[in-house]
Amino acid sequence: MTTPTQPNSNLSAYLSHELRNALACIHQFGNILVDGLAGELTGEQREYVSIMLENASRIRSVLDRSLDGVPGQPEKCTNKIERVSKLET
Amino acid sequence: MPNKKILIVDDDPDVLQGMHVRLKANQYDICLAVDTFSGVAEARRSEPDLILLDLGLPAGGGFMVMERLKMIPSLAIIPVIVVSARDGLGNQKRAFEAGAKAFLQKPVDDNQLLAVIRQTLGEPAGAKKPTLQDQGAV
Repeated sequence: MTTPTQPNSNLSAYLSHELRNALACIHQFGNILVDGLAGELTGEQREYVSIMLENASRIRSVLDRSLDGVPGQPEKCTNKIERVSKLET
Repeated sequence: MPNKKILIVDDDPDVLQGMHVRLKANQYDICLAVDTFSGVAEARRSEPDLILLDLGLPAGGGFMVMERLKMIPSLAIIPVIVVSARDGLGNQKRAFEAGAKAFLQKPVDDNQLLAVIRQTLGEPAGAKKPTLQDQGAV
């Protein structure tokens, strides 16, 4: 049964999923550049990529606070590793 | 000591490439798959030490991959780390119930991903295997 909030929830879930995938790629390749895995960067190039990464992190924060927290959405998931921690004990 | 082998299953070619570069730089051998069917087939073929699994995959999805792996004794023991853009504790809970060792939500911090991989593989935390350069081979 469709509720009035369902279309918004579905849209938010879709946007969150798509934006997170895109952000994952920006973070991955930005860090690959900063870490020199694709060749050494100059100081200026490193600074620019770092600015790009900082802004990607800002988008992630906005995403965490907004799209994942709208009514009707499941509680935001954190990157939990308790399961692995239990294995250590 | 041979490198540990990691199978990455994700339908986004950019995510696959990014993880490939990062993990290869940390001396892991990598194999790749892009959907449910090829994920299980590649696991059978390459018998990896660990699987990084996306949930939103064509032709079934990550949960189906885990179900199929469970049905094959030699593959059922391979640890699975779910790396997904999907939100919600529901997915995380379901992933753990399906046997996942960890659930990471994209975008994942590289250091966190490597820490969870090392933890799952029983490798020392923060340990970096010597590269060919470290060994003077190049």
